[in-house]
Amino acid sequence: MTFKRISILLSFTVFILYGGLILSLFYFYNGQLFLETIKSERTLFSLRLSLATATIATIASLMIAIPSAYALSRFHFIGQGLIDTILELPMIISPVALGATVLIFFNNPIGIFIQEKSVQFVFTVYGILLAQFITTLGIAIRLIKAAMDEIPARYEEIARTLGATPVKAFFTITLPLCKKGILAASVLTWAKALGEFGATITIAGSMAMKTETIPIAIYMRLANADIEGTVVLVLILIFIGLGILYGVRMLTKKSHPY
Amino acid sequence: MPLIELKNIKKYVLQDINLTVYDKEILVLAGPNGSGKTTLLNIIAGLTKYSGNVLFDSRNINSLPAHKRGVGYLLQDLALFPHLNVWSNIAYGLKVQKYPQDKIAKRVDELLDALHIRKLKDKYPDNLSGGEKQRVAIARAIAPFQKVLLLDEPTSSLDAQTAKYFRIELKALLKRFEITSIIVMHDLLGAEEIADRIAILNKGRIDQVSTPQEILFHPNSEKVSEFIGMPNIIRCDRCKVLSTGLIEVATGDLTIILPYEGTKISKIAISPHDIYISDTEPPGPALNRFKGTITEIMPLRSLLRLKVNVKGIEFLTELSKEAFDEMELSVGKEVFVIIKLRRLRYAE
Repeated sequence: MTFKRISILLSFTVFILYGGLILSLFYFYNGQLFLETIKSERTLFSLRLSLATATIATIASLMIAIPSAYALSRFHFIGQGLIDTILELPMIISPVALGATVLIFFNNPIGIFIQEKSVQFVFTVYGILLAQFITTLGIAIRLIKAAMDEIPARYEEIARTLGATPVKAFFTITLPLCKKGILAASVLTWAKALGEFGATITIAGSMAMKTETIPIAIYMRLANADIEGTVVLVLILIFIGLGILYGVRMLTKKSHPY
Repeated sequence: MPLIELKNIKKYVLQDINLTVYDKEILVLAGPNGSGKTTLLNIIAGLTKYSGNVLFDSRNINSLPAHKRGVGYLLQDLALFPHLNVWSNIAYGLKVQKYPQDKIAKRVDELLDALHIRKLKDKYPDNLSGGEKQRVAIARAIAPFQKVLLLDEPTSSLDAQTAKYFRIELKALLKRFEITSIIVMHDLLGAEEIADRIAILNKGRIDQVSTPQEILFHPNSEKVSEFIGMPNIIRCDRCKVLSTGLIEVATGDLTIILPYEGTKISKIAISPHDIYISDTEPPGPALNRFKGTITEIMPLRSLLRLKVNVKGIEFLTELSKEAFDEMELSVGKEVFVIIKLRRLRYAE
């Protein structure tokens, strides 16, 4: 068997693995229950909460990630290596550990002061946003930096010789050139925020109709041995995720690479 | 009034550069790789920090950022914006400088015609040939009414014939738009066709700044002489204009044919690497082809330099080690010497 065939075959195993897992859900699929669950107020709340918090957390991540990624990609400064390394923190330590760290922080004097003087994060919707934000920020910066590294800095230099300020050069040259990369990073960030569980449950808890996102709802149903209900919620998560990914792929499918 | 003055410029390899480029002048900055040519362009464009002073029209512009200097820059790889079509690439500088729409359209139109690229205006850089990209990049660089243009190796990606036409056209364009320009080249091939003056930069220092003829015929140091290739300088005794646009120049018993450009010729400079050596008689016309005898062989890194005596005149020639070994050359051996017609340089 040629190397080409082996590699193609292996790529199909990925499809079989994930596809098989999705298909296996249908063994416990109950159409009647699907409709009931999807119409239930609790599910609709979780769905709305998940979509809203993931979107807000993604926007907040991008607002920090785009300028940070630009700085890391274009400039050399003291502490750059340190920042570059710490970006991986949410990926190396488990989300639960990350959530626990945040929870511990809010129990020290500075954390208590912040909670008293500004917003209450622990066991609130703000806690969900914070959990999703801190788990996605690092990956968003890493992905956007990779996209910006692909764009040679000389395009901006030329723009500057033509009269563009550094800010104008960034918005008219660099940003449009890496918009596909930023869009891809946004989708992945959003998907990661939508599926975030460990840090969210640690910081915001699992209160129905208050802080119960879809992943938490899945966990709660499973904990109550409600397999059919779990299947329904998992399928909802899968449909939303794949739907968004497909939509973005269609939107960015253009003949011109930029 | 001098337009660009560089005073005591220091940066990386550059050591205390002092240079004046006059208003509307075309200055070729030549030197071996790593001599600091591109760094000097970046300094003038304001793209890199430096010590020393850069003056435009006697005004110190050290503190002016790149976007306020009004210096067009043609990079070696051109760097056309891939997400913009030709029209938008050219209009970019005018747009960011907030020129009114009608003025932008008029200026872009003028440049599309001046560079003969009107038919390309809707194309994207990916769909352009090397020569087309070059024209678009020049139009973009001078579009926002730049009075200074820096060009980094503008002919390096073109074949010899295209490069020759390009140089002629570029010179006409720079003179038409009255642009002061500095053109970086790593060798002097064709520099004399375009330059008003040539500056030789070597290891971060400027060795000589003179007219092309002065540099070719009177290099002021051995370093300059070595860089320009220690040309064979031949004094001419007699000239005879031929009817076919050529001129026959004689020195002793040797006659060389050159293109006739309406001027009498007193000297010819031929670089050693512009002379071919062959151990067998090459096919084709016998124009500028002579028989000679090798009198000396000098190894020079990967090359060999040979002295060949042709009718009493000693020519210094250059050839690769592979070619030398293949022809089994030795002192006293008879060879054919072929002088490339287009490489002959001459002075009135």
